[in-house]
Amino acid sequence: MVKRLPAKDAVIIGLGWTGSILGYELAKAGLEVVALERGPWRDTATAFPTSYAQDELRYDFHHDLFVQTKQTTLTFRNKAGQTALPIRSWASFLPGNGVGGAGVHWGGQTWRFLPTDFRLRSHLEERYGKNFLPQDMTIQDWPVSFDELESYYDRFEKLCGISGKAGNLRGQIQRGSIPLKVGDRMNIRHLR
Amino acid sequence: MFMTHFRNEVERVRQVTCTATESMSRRRLLASIAVLLVTVLGPRAYGRAYSGGVLPWEPSETQPPMPVRPGQWLYFTADEAAVVEAIVDRLIPLDDSGPGGKDAGCALFIDRQLAGSFGDSRRLYMSAPFTNGTPSQGPQSPVVPKDRYRTSLTALNDYCKVAFGGKSFATLGTSQQDEVLSGLEKDEIKLSDRSGKEFFETILQNAMEGFFADPIYGGNRDMAGWKLIGFPGARYDYRDWIERYNETYPLPPVSIMGRADWNTPG
Repeated sequence: MVKRLPAKDAVIIGLGWTGSILGYELAKAGLEVVALERGPWRDTATAFPTSYAQDELRYDFHHDLFVQTKQTTLTFRNKAGQTALPIRSWASFLPGNGVGGAGVHWGGQTWRFLPTDFRLRSHLEERYGKNFLPQDMTIQDWPVSFDELESYYDRFEKLCGISGKAGNLRGQIQRGSIPLKVGDRMNIRHLR
Repeated sequence: MFMTHFRNEVERVRQVTCTATESMSRRRLLASIAVLLVTVLGPRAYGRAYSGGVLPWEPSETQPPMPVRPGQWLYFTADEAAVVEAIVDRLIPLDDSGPGGKDAGCALFIDRQLAGSFGDSRRLYMSAPFTNGTPSQGPQSPVVPKDRYRTSLTALNDYCKVAFGGKSFATLGTSQQDEVLSGLEKDEIKLSDRSGKEFFETILQNAMEGFFADPIYGGNRDMAGWKLIGFPGARYDYRDWIERYNETYPLPPVSIMGRADWNTPG
């Protein structure tokens, strides 16, 4: 009944962007890799053909590309005092399913965290004082810094072909760009 | 023997395909052949038989589009269909700009949706606990759309019979129908113990889906909804048009299954 398959060096669970990139890197390093994916195999020609990928009812209204809540879902509440209830129909976020994961409905933008995002507790305490954060607020600094990650950001952006002109490079506002300043958050109005 | 039979069947399907008025395409033909292979090869076939126009759903499959076949109602009774046709024709009335909801196939669309995976919520988590939550926790009812439609339509006719001397919704004049629909929208009319507003919002949502979704789902007949708003539909490629601002896109809309005039033998 249980079938024992040959052992591999690495098992990747979930073949979304992270799993795919990791699988590629591990295989390139000479390891034998097996990846497990709960959803369908997807490739561009059969899963996203330009002849019917436009189907708004199927993909946007009925969430065909995503995990169906029948398969698996989460419970949700806004506040600790509420009773968490199962999400039956996705609304605020759309978990991916199948090869490609949530990357199949990637909006085509990647945003770097700000340097202060990596040391948020330290940053807030330095700026507003030790007692600024409530006792029960669990914000922590990341164990890595922006500078340590910067070269990986760069590599990832090149891998996914991120293009466009940054609005603010080392404090210099760039002409012909959207000049987001440090501290600005992505604002949907900038995109419309 | 097998190949002869197979070829005859393919020829039969091809003839049916070519004579159908609605856009039948190579993809539909291939889908029909897939069913044939299952039929012909018997239980050891690599395909799978299906019926009723709705593919069996598996979470690990990617499926081709499955156009609905027009014809008799799959879910509604004739009386229910008459009410739904009357409602969608008031929500989207016939006027100079194009057909109304009924002629655009919105009732057919809703019927096929209720007969399919939308109607019984088969893709949704529908197990306990069923507790009323906050609006942000989303729908929590155990009642699936097709049952909600049935009880609401029955309750609507019951209401109309009491309020309009034994008449059903479908036989009311258009101004009386509008009066009832406004009453539902404002939640002044209850449908037995349920909110009239909830039903109004559901059928309005589904009527709009029917009017603007691809014609493969049974509504948006002759792409009436798309022609109305100038939407080009499932065109393959817009690269030539990306930088041509303030120009009207001249090509007519196209469905996932093409256009009727592409599929008519010339």
